[in-house]
Amino acid sequence: MAAIESGLREVDDNLPKTPALDEESPFATLMSLFDEAAAKLGISPDNYAILRKPDRETNVAVPYRLDDGTLAMADGYRVQHNQGLGPFMGPLRIAPDVSVDLLRALAAWMTWKCSILNIPFGGSAGAILIDPRERSRHELERAVRRYVSSLLDIVGPEKDIFGPDIGADEEVMAWVMDTVSSHERHTVNAAVTGKPLSLAGTRENERAVAHGLRVIQQHAAEKYGLTDPATRIVVQGAGDVGGTLARLLHADGHRVCGLSDVHGGVYNETGLDIPELLNWRKEKGTLNGCPGSHETLTNEDLLVRPCEILIPCAVANAVHSRNARAIETKLIIEGAHGPVSARADHILDDRGIPVIPDVLANAGGVVAHYFEWVQNRQGLSWIEAVVRKRLTRFMTEAWYAVHKVEDQYGVRTRMAAHMLAVTRVSQADNLRGIYA
Amino acid sequence: MPSPTDPIPGPNPELDTDMTSGTAVAQNQALQDEFNPYLAMAENFDIAADHLGLDEGVREVLRTPDRELTVSIPVLMDDGSMRVFKGFRVQHNFHRGPCKGGIRFAPDVHLDEVRALAAWMTWKCSAVNVPFGGGKGGVICDPRELSIHELERITRRYTASIMDILGPDRDVPAPDMNTNEQTMAWIMDTYSMHVRKTTTAVVTGKPLNLGGSRGRTEATGRGVMIACREALKKIGLRPEDTSVVVQGAGNVGGIGALLLHREGYKITSLSDMYGSVYNEKGLDMPAVMAWMREHRRLNGFPGAEELTNVSQLEVDCDVLIPCATENQITSKNVDNIKAKLVVEGANGPTTAVAGKILDSRGVIVVPDIVANAGGVTVSYFEWVQDRMGYFWTEEIVNTRLEQTMVNTFEEVDAVAKKYEVSLRTAAYILAIDRVATVYRLRGVFA
Repeated sequence: MAAIESGLREVDDNLPKTPALDEESPFATLMSLFDEAAAKLGISPDNYAILRKPDRETNVAVPYRLDDGTLAMADGYRVQHNQGLGPFMGPLRIAPDVSVDLLRALAAWMTWKCSILNIPFGGSAGAILIDPRERSRHELERAVRRYVSSLLDIVGPEKDIFGPDIGADEEVMAWVMDTVSSHERHTVNAAVTGKPLSLAGTRENERAVAHGLRVIQQHAAEKYGLTDPATRIVVQGAGDVGGTLARLLHADGHRVCGLSDVHGGVYNETGLDIPELLNWRKEKGTLNGCPGSHETLTNEDLLVRPCEILIPCAVANAVHSRNARAIETKLIIEGAHGPVSARADHILDDRGIPVIPDVLANAGGVVAHYFEWVQNRQGLSWIEAVVRKRLTRFMTEAWYAVHKVEDQYGVRTRMAAHMLAVTRVSQADNLRGIYA
Repeated sequence: MPSPTDPIPGPNPELDTDMTSGTAVAQNQALQDEFNPYLAMAENFDIAADHLGLDEGVREVLRTPDRELTVSIPVLMDDGSMRVFKGFRVQHNFHRGPCKGGIRFAPDVHLDEVRALAAWMTWKCSAVNVPFGGGKGGVICDPRELSIHELERITRRYTASIMDILGPDRDVPAPDMNTNEQTMAWIMDTYSMHVRKTTTAVVTGKPLNLGGSRGRTEATGRGVMIACREALKKIGLRPEDTSVVVQGAGNVGGIGALLLHREGYKITSLSDMYGSVYNEKGLDMPAVMAWMREHRRLNGFPGAEELTNVSQLEVDCDVLIPCATENQITSKNVDNIKAKLVVEGANGPTTAVAGKILDSRGVIVVPDIVANAGGVTVSYFEWVQDRMGYFWTEEIVNTRLEQTMVNTFEEVDAVAKKYEVSLRTAAYILAIDRVATVYRLRGVFA
């Protein structure tokens, strides 16, 4: 959480796979959207009671040897929110300051996201409270393996699937997979997603969010009449998400007139030479100093430059209550997690600027993780083209499903997405009934 | 979008027109035997086995169910009293794969009936070449007298009691008489909770958002359409010159007729349980279905004459597609049937006696185990999708169903030519040969 809140300095656009939440009470913040959606739907008290509480919270002690031979103790958690739609799926985070309440929020958020994308998973989230920067890789490996061993009864391809998050990269995912497999006495690679490609990961994993955004951008542009090739698009972020998206847009002849990374941005109203800029950034590690007919400016300035579509793909709360009134755009698509703060969201709503919410727009990553699970179960690795085609299908179906609710209830897109999520989960809960 | 506040759908009493299972009521012993579809099937089995020259040992194996389980189901009723129901699960043959077959709730379910239906499923799965054996289950109860909560408790306890022989690789139930997708959801939930993991592939016919397959509701009707179309190709009739009479207006008859209409065939008559509509020039099927949705019956549909269901079958037509119940074409009315082609959308709509008369008159009959196998084929697709956890678009489901039905028809037709027999006997020869071959390959266990 600290990494997200600290703003532009520390956060790479690829890192946090989580929404922006109030540090004081993350679960309450997240659930306030759910409460609003549930109220609009007139959901039954039974369903409400079930969804308001996680199915299961497990707390384990994680003893592990340090390299100097002494013993260290850490806390480990796994919160499983709702398994109505299928096995749990959610991130594993390794950080010193994660609260159970935050995990509850992340787990519930995964439930909604999977539901909107029509992925047969419920949501979960887990953490090991260790600061990875203070521990060696060996110490970390021992802690992760012990944590997974303690949770074996509730982890597995049809029980709970782990994914990467802050402090838990693809190497950590490989340890989890190896620990589960060793205990089960056979390869269980479907228990974990976000694995390295050489260890049954999926192709297109790192580009999936950008591809998904591109699909949503196309649908949104059509809906709001912004298909003219002269439509000005500003993308904040130049990494796996923002950079890839800018490249895709540019390749299809769109006019990307603004781009930025943590160090600052560039802007040219008539369009930027995206491949040139990204090559420069790849070499120099920054967009700054790249020759070309564009002006250099700060991230704050970039966001308020006039454009038709603004796609913030970098940090949480990039659009906040202080700059929301100055933003000159016709459509915002949330590429990052929570780039529009709750207050800014209401200001934009008042100003009539539509916002396509993160939970729909940047869901390509979750879909890719689901695809990895499917491929592991099939024992067949899909080629890039198949992954992209199926990703397009899932994003398109989600878009239409959300917009059906939007039209039916006359609510904004963010609310429609949550209403769709709540409806699907409660339908599944109702059909399955209360097991006894 | 359905609202989550809608009440949970229970078994729909309107669909369950015939609460009693098994044979229709007959007035005398001769008719009773004629009306017993299981005797008819046993006869078909023997005819086919003779053609194949099966030895007595293998015949004996294929006639006998592999396993039968009877369980008591104690249930706490809503009024606080306790009742004990009786349930069955019969697994006829699992040599080609896990068993597959429905679970029915009815007051007159009995073990013999369940046995026969399980065997029927073995032949059906084998005829369309899906990797399943046959199974069937039933609980003796009258769903009309039970509350939704009592039904749920019966379903869950029954599932728990037969758990040891259930599973995606053991036995995969499906809906049948008086059970529906809600029942399947309870079975899936109970099984999943017992094994401590989500196991959608344990049962098929589930709701779409719990691991169900797209295109399942209309699968049987679509299969009937494809079987009819393939058979007509052999006869050489063009769609626009073909008049079709369909008995039944539900998931099989109604959808089958609608799809045939879309292919250009002339649907001259359609019936439901209350009566029939007839138009010599062909019914406007989308309008008929819209009328049906609104009025819940065909009667009164403008632009058509009304007929009784008895006379409907005897209307002059090229194709007759009975999609309602068993024993509709019998020794009593077979001489008045004018169709050149009969496609059996229902199970056992033609009695054995009537079947022989149709054969001798040169009427082609596409038998039930081929014509209505679209349902079990998409059930198989549902199981496949659940196992991989990836769900196909409706288009893909329909394409693969089309391939399966066309292949099956070609194979059955080839066997019919080779042995010079009817399509029905050919379908049994094909199905029994496949099971017998696998049985010989695997050998006797232990």
